[in-house]
Amino acid sequence: MKDRVAVVGVGCTKFGDLFDKSYEDLICDAAFAAYDDAKIDPQEINASYLGTYLPGPNGGKAAVSLGDALRLYDRPITRVENYCATGTDAFRNGCLAIESGAADIVLVLGAEKLKDRGGRGLPRLGHPLLAKGNSAPGLFALAANRYMHTFGMGRETLAKVAVKNHFNGARNPKAHLQMEVTEEQVLKAPMIASPFGLFDCCPTTDGAAAAILCRADLAKRFRDDFILVKGYGLAVTTGRPYFDPTFDYLGFRSTQMAAQQAYKMAGIEASDIDFAEVHDCFTWTEISNTEDLGFCKKGEGGRLVDEGRTRLDGDIPINPSGGLKSFGHPIGASGVRMIYECVEQLRGQCGERQVRAPELGLAHNVGGPGAVSCVVILGNN
Amino acid sequence: MVGIAGTGIVGITGWSTYVPRLRLDRRLINQAWGTAQLAGTRAVANYDEDALTMATEAVRALLGENGGSVRGLYFASASAPYWEKQIAAVIATACDLPRRLFTADYSGSARAGTAALIAALRAAQAGAADDAVVAAADVRVGSPESELEGLLGDAAAAVRVGTEQVAAEFIDAESIAEEFTYLWRIDSDRYVQAQPGRFSSQFGYARDLSEAIGALLERNRLSPKDISKLALYSPDARAASDLAKSMGFDPKTQLTPSLVPTIGCAGSAEAFLQLAAVLEGAKPGDWVIVGSFGEGADALLFRVTDAIAQAQPASRLREWIDAGVPLASYERYLKFRRIVEGDEPTEAIANVLEFKELKQDVRLYGSRCRSCGMVQFPIARVCLKCRGRELEDHRLARRGGVFTFTVDHLIANIEHPLIMSVIDLDGGGRIYLQTTDVAADAVQVGTRVTLTFRRLHEGGGNHNYFWKARPVRVRGDA
Repeated sequence: MKDRVAVVGVGCTKFGDLFDKSYEDLICDAAFAAYDDAKIDPQEINASYLGTYLPGPNGGKAAVSLGDALRLYDRPITRVENYCATGTDAFRNGCLAIESGAADIVLVLGAEKLKDRGGRGLPRLGHPLLAKGNSAPGLFALAANRYMHTFGMGRETLAKVAVKNHFNGARNPKAHLQMEVTEEQVLKAPMIASPFGLFDCCPTTDGAAAAILCRADLAKRFRDDFILVKGYGLAVTTGRPYFDPTFDYLGFRSTQMAAQQAYKMAGIEASDIDFAEVHDCFTWTEISNTEDLGFCKKGEGGRLVDEGRTRLDGDIPINPSGGLKSFGHPIGASGVRMIYECVEQLRGQCGERQVRAPELGLAHNVGGPGAVSCVVILGNN
Repeated sequence: MVGIAGTGIVGITGWSTYVPRLRLDRRLINQAWGTAQLAGTRAVANYDEDALTMATEAVRALLGENGGSVRGLYFASASAPYWEKQIAAVIATACDLPRRLFTADYSGSARAGTAALIAALRAAQAGAADDAVVAAADVRVGSPESELEGLLGDAAAAVRVGTEQVAAEFIDAESIAEEFTYLWRIDSDRYVQAQPGRFSSQFGYARDLSEAIGALLERNRLSPKDISKLALYSPDARAASDLAKSMGFDPKTQLTPSLVPTIGCAGSAEAFLQLAAVLEGAKPGDWVIVGSFGEGADALLFRVTDAIAQAQPASRLREWIDAGVPLASYERYLKFRRIVEGDEPTEAIANVLEFKELKQDVRLYGSRCRSCGMVQFPIARVCLKCRGRELEDHRLARRGGVFTFTVDHLIANIEHPLIMSVIDLDGGGRIYLQTTDVAADAVQVGTRVTLTFRRLHEGGGNHNYFWKARPVRVRGDA
């Protein structure tokens, strides 16, 4: 499936506390930005995939949430939900539609309105007794504590991830948090769920992002600098790792599997990737993901950070956009937003945060935690 | 007085006690209100504890893995968490006792404990039930600023009644019935009220209980000096001592120390706690009288046997008392009892779900794979490890070690922060639970924990119970 799908347009809203924007506003802003980028007449779109994790009172439920917002009727639209991998999986489904011949041109759009809910973080879901008391930071913290216990890594290394991603985000006008932080600030911030302090956690954010995909042989109709889909992968493991006696909590098998699928499809190895947008919902998650994606061996992700190799000027820049940490994490939107960043980077449009002449970029989400991961590899030739 | 159909003697075959971890220093109440309180501390049930959960702790400590032969479970409390819903059946299920079991709740006063005990002993004498457990627990609440608030204390105890390995033979019992309003709580109120002072103790407590004890002594041709120990409920710090003295007992030698300075007056559990303290120091041949009060009085006479040495519980009352830690503030106590509103998560549990998952969620069973041996929770249909379908129900151990954890400051909860732990259970299986009764910095990888049945959250007009983990506190902690 390598090189059969092209990305010819992307769009992204400002991410943040968008109290004055509705779910429909976000969809329209992202979609029309992508239409403009591709210079496409929306009526040419054959099918759409909407990624939203939490259905809200004002949208995000089913196909109609996208159809009504954009008045995009009389064609297939599907809502995709797959935990934090929702956005990347929506993109993957768009690819499948084109590769199967069912569609020539597809709109993939991820949107999430978290700030309309009030309260703290995400709402409580699931079984009324089992795993009650879990929070998103708490779940990843379970793994972080075990990892740090096993490999002897300290909170200082976690803090360096936050410092780096805030540095990158401060150079990104669409990011939610556009300020730099110091290691000391990160370490002294109030605790959220040990070992994560406030600056180890991504914010709760509103936002939407969109991508226009088409059959690769049609891409030149839209633009010369189109981006090709090189590979993708998705894998699922247990959504209850805390009940799995075989789970070591040192990383996520779903990411390892999804990455292997994507590398195989692309015919490359992890070392061929020039930069990556990696799921850094928490600082530790980025470290563990760089290992699971194969950028280093298990247990060495912290050293990668300590040595500065994941910075913009490092040999494997991670989250040049600022990541979820700084850009924000409107769950269903994040994966598509990462693809947006990859496309802009591969086109060389990122200004101050542009990584050096990249040819292959990778976007990755993990959710659950570890229950589902999705990896997408994009290239510019 | 051997039972008609019994083949041997009837009496107490085992006992256990449970005192919650936290102690409220009464000086904190003084500081808050400027009122005069007694010296010392009172035991305080944690925010997720009530009479049901504490009685469950006591029954589990008493029965351990050995509950199979029990034929009856009696629950006694003046502060049961339900007006209408039988607590004994919930405790029996959480302790994984057999379904074929007689259960009953006794309530209404501190005398409920001895009333249930007499009923169990008489049933055993009649040959109707030769092995039963009587659990008593109370979390009574006095109104803020009242003397009663500091006087009352939270605790539980359980006594096993049977015909095998009897440690204290049941000889006789005497009861008095009389309407006398001393401690009471009307049906629409949450706070216990008291008519304090010498009038109440003299014409209520002392008159009724001394009448019962006197009749017991007379019928069995015993005098106060024949009695080794009295195990008496006392509505205040000195009523039991005054009563003993007035009857010719020596309070110093024949009365176990009052629990008021450490635990507080423990309601239905108090006479059982006193009995435990007596039996934990008893010698064969000792005569023991247990007495309790409430709209009349009960007095029971026991004779300690040679089996007393073998019947000693794994953890003694003294150890539970000594394992207490101070509650940081009086305001926290107000939150624990929902007098001040806390950040309480609410969630209803559908009755159908509760019914469907009773074995998993309350009896706490997982699955064991017949092919590869993997123990897993929740109950599985396909093996997590070998993907086989030959799974059998497996009773999970109630102890284990922390594999990993987090201290969560974000999540809604009455007590902050909330510690969540992943626990590898002894004998297999992994479970993820809220962790309670522990300081935020005390849980580490490898910390030993015991599982405890607690009030998880409120919702749908219901108390929703589930398991939590707590660090092992005393020797032999179940």
